[in-house]
Amino acid sequence: MMTIDTNAFLIIFTASLIAISCGLLGVFMMLRKMSMTGDAISHAVLPGIVIGFFISGTQRGIEVIIGAGLLGILATLIIDWLRKKAKVQLDASIGITFTLLFAIGIILINMLAYKVDLDQECVLYGEIAYLPIDLWITKSGFSMGPRITWLAILNLLLVITFIWLLFKELKLTSFDESFGIVLGIPAGAINLALMSMVSYTTVSSFEAVGAILVVALLVVPPATAFLWTKQIKSLIKLTIGIGIGISVIGYYLAFWLDSSIAGMMVSVAGFVFLTSAVLKSKKSKFKFGTQSKEEAFSS
Amino acid sequence: MIQQVENPILEIHDLTVSYDQSPVLWNVDLSLPEGKLIGILGPNGAGKSTLIKAIMGLVQASGGYVKIFNKDLEQVRNRISYVPQRESVDWNFPASVLDVVLMGTYGKLGLFKRPGKKEKELAHNCLEKVGMNAFASRQISELSGGQQQRVFIARALAQEADLYLMDEPFAGVDMATETAIFQLLQEMSKEGKTIVVVHHDIHSAMSYFEWIIMLNLHLVASGPKQEVVSEELLRKTYGGKLNLLTKVTDLIRKKEFNPLKN
Repeated sequence: MMTIDTNAFLIIFTASLIAISCGLLGVFMMLRKMSMTGDAISHAVLPGIVIGFFISGTQRGIEVIIGAGLLGILATLIIDWLRKKAKVQLDASIGITFTLLFAIGIILINMLAYKVDLDQECVLYGEIAYLPIDLWITKSGFSMGPRITWLAILNLLLVITFIWLLFKELKLTSFDESFGIVLGIPAGAINLALMSMVSYTTVSSFEAVGAILVVALLVVPPATAFLWTKQIKSLIKLTIGIGIGISVIGYYLAFWLDSSIAGMMVSVAGFVFLTSAVLKSKKSKFKFGTQSKEEAFSS
Repeated sequence: MIQQVENPILEIHDLTVSYDQSPVLWNVDLSLPEGKLIGILGPNGAGKSTLIKAIMGLVQASGGYVKIFNKDLEQVRNRISYVPQRESVDWNFPASVLDVVLMGTYGKLGLFKRPGKKEKELAHNCLEKVGMNAFASRQISELSGGQQQRVFIARALAQEADLYLMDEPFAGVDMATETAIFQLLQEMSKEGKTIVVVHHDIHSAMSYFEWIIMLNLHLVASGPKQEVVSEELLRKTYGGKLNLLTKVTDLIRKKEFNPLKN
């Protein structure tokens, strides 16, 4: 039965919040040609999560978020160092860094397995379907609703504040970083701040959609939106729209096929991207006939 | 021939820059006068762009120092303007022409503040000066090479600086645009602005600049055009490049060693 009950609403609402947070940051990651750094960060935070978990003894501790944030920044710094100082190609340095950190994370989980109750599957794949039963209960025993939804709301608020405050600086350093440095804008600090936000968003979302699928939400909606618009404001709006759209469609498809919600969301996102890409190439075909774009212009 | 000046607007002392241990600039020592149109000449790989980047603090110097307005760079950032090479950015970026020119005002705005009416007016003025105001709302991905270059110059104008450093502003620009940009630079220098331009065409450089810096890893010459343009110094700068050398010799012969005659 496909009706909007409370649970369905909560799941779609939370998924949308996460998709929007990731999409907003993803827009700037894409414009900086750093989408794959986002991928690296989302995997590299694993050891930080495990250590934070080990220290605080709970998945909900602030230590987990701090640990992940630090590891995310560390990953960015290592990638940057390998590329600039050791002259390793960017893609190679990303590949080396995140697989190494991720592997350390896996070893840590195994070593500490008897002490911490952290499930690798949960970290990697997440399960948003259990969200309605994981409630935030206050000390007086009052239920505030699903914990993960609150986390996602807080995350989105922080992401929006971050981008709203630093919109001008993010735009400039994404377009022309050295000009930003010349103007005296702390480009390095802004870059690290963006990476920290990505790390934090990854941790905040991994319980719901998993570390792997966070990457898809960082990369695919902005890339799809960029096929359709060349204005930064409509790019952001379209990315938000796509984020909400794939959450709704992904949920109902998963419900219908009795499958993973997060997996379905990302599949829908991939499908929307491919359709957009095909439509875009078709559109230029209609416009220019059998000639390629350049020929049509030069003749 | 290196001529030093009193009260220089820009003073470079024993500057050495190296990439990966191999120096690309050796002991450059020069000072520049205020209110002049200054050209930096030299063959490919002579370190022209590196010199500009070192002045702007974009590359780390391994020795020496730079003083601008007799101060450190950090204290006078607001008075220096920079035009990077056009190819240094991706023009597919989602921004309009006006957006890019407004970026020139960000330095004076400071963190968190947004450009307002005053900044927009300034940006439109700067676009007007380079003849691009009709394109203000155009997406930058739709511009031609020459138009991109003019947008970058407008962005530098929006910085409202006293010293302008331009890295190859005439690269890939047609003659009409080059002349128009050059006229604009001349007007600016008449208003007392100092403009330093990296340029690769010796021929046009002779008619454009009042002060010429010749560079080939070492500083070969720095001084007023009449005094530094000689066959010997040009040979020293471009030395070894035979084809070019004959051209240079021809050029000098035609002008009877006097570039001003043309």
